[in-house]
Amino acid sequence: MIGHAAYLMPSHETSTLVASNLTKKIGKKTIVNSVSFELRAGEVFGFLGPNGAGKTTTIRMLVGLIRPTAGTVTICGQDVRRHFEQAMRCIGCIVETPDLYRFMTGRENLEHFARMLRAPSTDIERVANIVALGHRLDQRVREYSLGMRQRLGIAQALLGHPRLLILDEPANGLDPAGIREIRELLRGLASTGMSVFVSSHLLAEIELMCDRVAIIHKGNILRDGTVRELISSQRAMEFHVADVARASQVLQQRNVPFTPDHDRLFLPIDESEAAPIIRALVDNGVDVFSARPRVHTLEEMFIDVTGGETVD
Amino acid sequence: MLALIQNETIKLLRRRRFAIVIGILIAILAMVSYSQYRQLRDQRNRNWRAEIQQRIASYQNTLRRGRVNPSWQRSLRAEINRLQFYLDHDIEPDKPTAPIFVRTFANVAGFLLLPLLIGVLGSDIVSAENAEGTDKLLLTRPVRRWKILTSKLITLWMFATLTLFCGAILSYLISAPVLPRGGWDAPMFTGFTITKTAFKADAIRQLPLWNDTLIAYGLEWYALLAVASIALMLSVIFRSSAASIGTMLASLIGGTILTRISPDWTAGKYLFVSALPLADYYTGEPPPYDGMTMLFCITLLGAWAIATTIVAYVLFVRRDVFG
Repeated sequence: MIGHAAYLMPSHETSTLVASNLTKKIGKKTIVNSVSFELRAGEVFGFLGPNGAGKTTTIRMLVGLIRPTAGTVTICGQDVRRHFEQAMRCIGCIVETPDLYRFMTGRENLEHFARMLRAPSTDIERVANIVALGHRLDQRVREYSLGMRQRLGIAQALLGHPRLLILDEPANGLDPAGIREIRELLRGLASTGMSVFVSSHLLAEIELMCDRVAIIHKGNILRDGTVRELISSQRAMEFHVADVARASQVLQQRNVPFTPDHDRLFLPIDESEAAPIIRALVDNGVDVFSARPRVHTLEEMFIDVTGGETVD
Repeated sequence: MLALIQNETIKLLRRRRFAIVIGILIAILAMVSYSQYRQLRDQRNRNWRAEIQQRIASYQNTLRRGRVNPSWQRSLRAEINRLQFYLDHDIEPDKPTAPIFVRTFANVAGFLLLPLLIGVLGSDIVSAENAEGTDKLLLTRPVRRWKILTSKLITLWMFATLTLFCGAILSYLISAPVLPRGGWDAPMFTGFTITKTAFKADAIRQLPLWNDTLIAYGLEWYALLAVASIALMLSVIFRSSAASIGTMLASLIGGTILTRISPDWTAGKYLFVSALPLADYYTGEPPPYDGMTMLFCITLLGAWAIATTIVAYVLFVRRDVFG
């Protein structure tokens, strides 16, 4: 978790979005509890959590749809509540589902939102090309597949050259090829200096797409860091030994924490710390068949930190 | 703001609601025109003086028998006096012509049909965005919420005006082929005052029909703008178009029933429905409650429009948009 001090003086040049101590209470129920994070230019930020964790409520607070009970959201240096128009000019978003006007064509939808931004009509061609929707633009959205609606939603979000893209579950309902396409699209956008905020429960996707990840559960952010950091924070060594009982004694004498599992022992240590342990075991007559680092996937870590709750 | 109004107009037209409204108007006008045509055909050789005398006699009989509630008594008395006035001045009332048809449309459509159609248009303007989920996009663009609601209110007012205008034009176009087309300068009598005890014709004015029609439509237009404001509030309150249309329908019909059934409950005069038939009251139809002068009705509708608009804005600007 990043300390609060980091949010007191956000560096506006690089931070496109700063959420600090965001809280939403409805009645006595706390839906989001003092959530803080920061997005930098050019990074893809993943926001992970099971349904009901407060993901969508947080996103709705970010984009001004819901008034936070406490805390602030700053987008490109502008407070969302006080300078709504300036803040919103910096972002494009899809909240929950890419709901566009189904009775209008893709082009009419884009024209509708371009008018709200006073974006030129050339911008419509530009965003349609980015999401490769140009040839279907004159069909009614009613006839679009979910994948096409998702792309039209992203096209809409890209109107007016936003510096920050907020996408809620962009991979939802897409086939693997579509997911890959979106992933490459978002990485491409980030490489041009845009910040991309992606919420998801598809952990494998987040792992491949994001630079940094925050995990939200029951309204609280449990972890926050780069994907590599988070995975390595869960690193463990797995020891396959001949005599687990004897090995346990040895480790207890040396005050080394461990978790036994059948004929294996798991130790929360790094590879570099393994040698003295192996030596101690062997010196005390415990045969060691293998010792190998076990890298948790983000998914395993997720299940760990959320207490084994299912992710859907 | 122009761009926002353009957006709202496109959406309203694209939803085909306005086409439905015009279709309903055409269907109803065609049916009524046909019935008027039949009436005209049947009346060709009638003795209208004898008919009116008969009607007066029949109303007087009803009154003598008692057993009718006070408001009904009042309107009967008013009607008798009105008919007597036509008789005394040798003017044939109720003779169907296309201009009279246009004029009558303002009265009969003004208090139920047109408000209902405005309710249909209005219910979509906010509710449908909620129901379709497009409000999330609309409200996360760099435009303040009050501006968005203002563009919706202006669009709704525009379409309320257009609906009334189309109603007037269509009622002429549809009735003209089957009814006498001329007669815009026929004399019309307005300004009958009806109280509990007396019928006063001293304030009566004679206007050519076209002038009278303009006044009636002007009053109806005002009433419909008020209805549009009320429809906007309902549309903000309800997430589903059906609930919003339903509430509009229920308040129009329920209010009308209430004013007819219990005229003794005088608080009923503060319902917007009571003041809605402005054109009727202008013609001389007695309002359901005493003390409902034209000024009272206009002020009441204005107050309703302002109050509901304030509620709509406060709700729309302040509320949390959940899924």
